[in-house]
Amino acid sequence: MNPGQQIWMIAKLELGRVFFSRRSFWVYLLAIFPTVIFLGHALDFSLKAKQWGGDRKTSAEALNQVQTGMTDEKVLQLLGKPINDSIRKRRIRRDQDPAAEKQPEVRRFMMYFDGKRRVDLRFEDGKLVSRNMRLLMNFEEDRKVYAGMFQFFYLRLGIFFGCLGIFINLFRGEMLDRSLHFWFLAPVKREVLLLGKYLAGLIAAALIFGTGALFSFLAMVLPQDASEVQTFWQTIGLEHAFWYVAAAMLGCVGYGSIFLAAGLLLKNPIIPAIVMLLWEGINGFLPGVLQKLSVLHYLQSLCPVPAPLPNDMPAVMKMLLAPAAPSSVPLAVLGLLALTVLVLLAAMQAARRLEINYGTE
Amino acid sequence: MSANEIVFDNVSKFYGDVLGVNRVDLHIPPGITSLVGPNGSGKTTLMNLMTGLIHPNSGVIHVRGLSPYAPEKLMKIMGYATQYDAGPRGATGFDFIFTGLLLHGFSKAEAQSRTWQAIERVGLTVAAKRKVAGYSKGMRQRIRLAQAIAHDPLVLILDEPLNGLDPLVRAETIALFRDYGANGRHVVLSSHVLQEVDVFSDQVILIANGMIVAEGQIKSVREEIHEHPSQFLLHCKDASRVASLLFAEAHVSEIKLAPEGDGLLVLTRNREAFSAALERIALSGIDIDGVIPTDENVDALYEYLIGGGR
Repeated sequence: MNPGQQIWMIAKLELGRVFFSRRSFWVYLLAIFPTVIFLGHALDFSLKAKQWGGDRKTSAEALNQVQTGMTDEKVLQLLGKPINDSIRKRRIRRDQDPAAEKQPEVRRFMMYFDGKRRVDLRFEDGKLVSRNMRLLMNFEEDRKVYAGMFQFFYLRLGIFFGCLGIFINLFRGEMLDRSLHFWFLAPVKREVLLLGKYLAGLIAAALIFGTGALFSFLAMVLPQDASEVQTFWQTIGLEHAFWYVAAAMLGCVGYGSIFLAAGLLLKNPIIPAIVMLLWEGINGFLPGVLQKLSVLHYLQSLCPVPAPLPNDMPAVMKMLLAPAAPSSVPLAVLGLLALTVLVLLAAMQAARRLEINYGTE
Repeated sequence: MSANEIVFDNVSKFYGDVLGVNRVDLHIPPGITSLVGPNGSGKTTLMNLMTGLIHPNSGVIHVRGLSPYAPEKLMKIMGYATQYDAGPRGATGFDFIFTGLLLHGFSKAEAQSRTWQAIERVGLTVAAKRKVAGYSKGMRQRIRLAQAIAHDPLVLILDEPLNGLDPLVRAETIALFRDYGANGRHVVLSSHVLQEVDVFSDQVILIANGMIVAEGQIKSVREEIHEHPSQFLLHCKDASRVASLLFAEAHVSEIKLAPEGDGLLVLTRNREAFSAALERIALSGIDIDGVIPTDENVDALYEYLIGGGR
């Protein structure tokens, strides 16, 4: 058996343990969380559309004709019965309170729905004073929300802690289970063993988080307006989907190597997790060269849509959350792979020196 | 260095500040070799060192010319039945051995055939498809032995292999060791009871407190222990006179007088003869206030190993 075959053999033997480990079952929850959120959003839209649709739906053309200043009677004549209609009256003693001169005595609120937009109309003393239209499914806005969720939750927390759970257990978990000697007594180089276990962890993590990224992306796209979705797929949709999945998988490549090495060097997984979180967190403040030593830097550079940052957000927070100077896509991929190779080489050194010493675990 | 021996050259191993083994020099020839010593004496440390599960702080180890730092070569010729109970999580007895053989590079068919052979050899065929976690202590002992022999190694290392075995299985297991020990292979096993292993061992290594106390064929080890000099501290007023009388005894090899002149340290090769000589001196009218053995380690160890200390 050549080393390549041995690596594959070890990976195959380890895969079942990695996928079905009780210790890292919560990893699936992290991966599935964004999909659940977007499915929930789609379900909410679907329920509202069902509740407000049918006979109660108003035509978009009619809604567009409504102008401020129109009377409520005219609006009712034009649009028909609203979904919601509420009237609030109050008695104003204008003779006692001069400031109340301009306050209305009757406020009326009506809500209409045209299948996509919810329109809220506010009348004061019988005249329309405001018209608020809101798309229940706003594709552009949802894509920005997805970009934010992907970068701020999925990459920074989901994949980060998921890889921590999967990769740190490849060696440390076996040490705790007192079963690592089984592998050390096989006629396999420690480097080969390490790569085999890394491959098993990588296949599992990449499948779990790659699928999670794809499903959440589809959960965001598919409930949108069919024509918009079609246009999206025909233009940038596939490319976006590819890069989100690629970023998730490459995140597993980078974080996986780091946590595998940490599992060999340290007993307590909390320490590398905190150090890495801090390092990734302050990346925006670091000099350019040191920024290249961050997995997140490369991953953010791969994301097709920049994460939305509110204008009123403090500059410090913006530096923490946004990639300081994104690398080009080829550089980001190569940089991440180079970083991974360096970390794996260090892990191989540690694996060569690793001893079975269950008594001190 | 012989390509047929297991060689420890000035090997020391410390666990932090705790001594594992200290300055061990060993040449273990093929055949059955038993490492015998009390619990915590360093037997498992020696075995883990020769299998590469731990590494020495100093010194060099070679197993039939191979370094424990090269598991890809060493484990081809070595099988190690450890004391560690755990195997891959959820594995059956069959899986435990079969998986190991796949890592050796055997084809699935060959690995299956060898797995069944090894399982049959240790008499676990009926329980082969049950999970190892549900095995009794004796069954676990046997499945570990089966895993160690499944790839037909030249060197078989067994940590306390007779623990937990009933008499019938124990006899069968010893027969297996004898079978393996023939044909120029190594069988190195550990025990804390000398009587348990001296009947079938070709050589014995006695170890205590991380140091090799005696090694060789069982007969020579026994003689070595009996002939090991014992040291006694005598308290007496006329130390110079007692010293001159003891010097006349053939078994006394060394005497040191205490600086105050009220005692002496005596090194003897024969405790019984020394005791008789002291009796004669006392009967001659010389007062001996006390006799304190100061170096009973080897004797105490031997007593322990043959069962007196248990």
